[in-house]
Amino acid sequence: MTAYTPVVEGTGFKAAVQRLGGYLAGMVMPNIGAFIAWGIITALFIPTGWLPNAKYAALVSPIIKYLLPVLIGYTGGRLVHGQRGAVIGTVATMGVVVGAEVPMLLGAMIVGPLAAYILKRSDALLAGRVKVGFEMLVDNFSLGILGAGIAVLGVWVIGPVINHATDTLGHGVKYLLEHHLLALSSILIEPAKVLFLNNAINHGVLGPLGVAEAAKHGKSILFMLESNPGPGLGILTAYFFFGPRRLRPTVPAAAIIHFLGGIHEIYFPYVLMKPRLILAAIAGGASGIAVFSATGVGLVATPSPGSIFAYMAETARGNYFGVLLGIAVSAAVSFGVGSMLLGLGRKEAEEPSTEDLAEAQQRSADNKASSKVAAASAAPASAAPAAAS
Amino acid sequence: MASIDASDVHKLVVACDAGMGSSVMLASTLKKQLKGMPVTVEHTPVDRIPSDADLILVHQGLADRARATGPERVVVPFQLFIGDPAVASVVATLKNGGRIDG
Repeated sequence: MTAYTPVVEGTGFKAAVQRLGGYLAGMVMPNIGAFIAWGIITALFIPTGWLPNAKYAALVSPIIKYLLPVLIGYTGGRLVHGQRGAVIGTVATMGVVVGAEVPMLLGAMIVGPLAAYILKRSDALLAGRVKVGFEMLVDNFSLGILGAGIAVLGVWVIGPVINHATDTLGHGVKYLLEHHLLALSSILIEPAKVLFLNNAINHGVLGPLGVAEAAKHGKSILFMLESNPGPGLGILTAYFFFGPRRLRPTVPAAAIIHFLGGIHEIYFPYVLMKPRLILAAIAGGASGIAVFSATGVGLVATPSPGSIFAYMAETARGNYFGVLLGIAVSAAVSFGVGSMLLGLGRKEAEEPSTEDLAEAQQRSADNKASSKVAAASAAPASAAPAAAS
Repeated sequence: MASIDASDVHKLVVACDAGMGSSVMLASTLKKQLKGMPVTVEHTPVDRIPSDADLILVHQGLADRARATGPERVVVPFQLFIGDPAVASVVATLKNGGRIDG
């Protein structure tokens, strides 16, 4: 490690949490397209939708009850043990799905990888002991027997337990909503988000709960707790006017990528460089949630990426005013608080605010081979955002 | 402290948490900047960086996870997704030769 690679604080624990979270998100994120398809079908054809139609609305329940959990179980199994893991993951998922009253996304996220892990151990145990010519027989029947067993166990024990857990979490969210406390969740969500736990929170926790709620009520506010693009936009705007001068030129492209493209990661560095800005994100996030909650609005599915376009496409019918107002309010609040925290640009001269960036630049100056070209290439590098956006 | 000569870099991997968002964006930017160079640019989740990656670019907040995939790998952390000096320096070194330290 040199000055070029600043040590990240609390590395071991943070990396471990990130890895677990990344794992949960990794089961859901590749399947977001299917969630969006379900969201579109729901928004269009349910009785309160745009084009109520009982024939097409028949798609809604099987997709949420079977297809989406099985997809997640498949992906979770594949992460652990390749194609065989994926196959046993789907079988195990059917176990928790059958007989459950709520969409078993959380259940799938548990039993899919678990079943694949058991198969992986069993495969390792059998490896090298199978007589020549019997490999296929053993492979197929070990998967079949284990899969059948785990599926039965799912119906019998795991399913009811997860059903109960999902219900309890749902009640907890309902309690927070009824007592107007949901906005406080920003205190946890916003800091975790900029530490790159954004996908873990949104796709690993809030999304599955939101889908359970949306299946019941046609929409959920839980989809909007983490993914609201308002606070990030407010912070970037504050940076544009009052941030360190050197960084200002990068902000407009970042704002476009964030707000329109929905890649929130792009604003995290701006917060990490001035950590007190996290207060602006919390204030903005909380006020946005307060507005969403007060106006009783929700989305029909996970908006992913968290772009304004995804929001508009997935807003429940008749909820546009509250959704747009919440985004606007959270952006305005984050901008206001962020501008204050940046001292309205005045304190800039006294503060070595971009230490890390300066270090990085120092390092590239030290790098003899490329020092001159690095400076020269700053131009193409900053021109790149235009192409990316 | 791993390092690699620019001429030995055949595969550059940009990694992010999910391998679907920010890494895709930076990878497409780098592909344009490195057009015509004998370097493939790919994007992956940080926990699944392919073993034949010669050079790994990752945000500082995820650098430890990238390093955990192999201590001998050259991991260059950056801070900004747009116009980061570390990324610019890597591009310049790839084009003009020299050593890249991770």
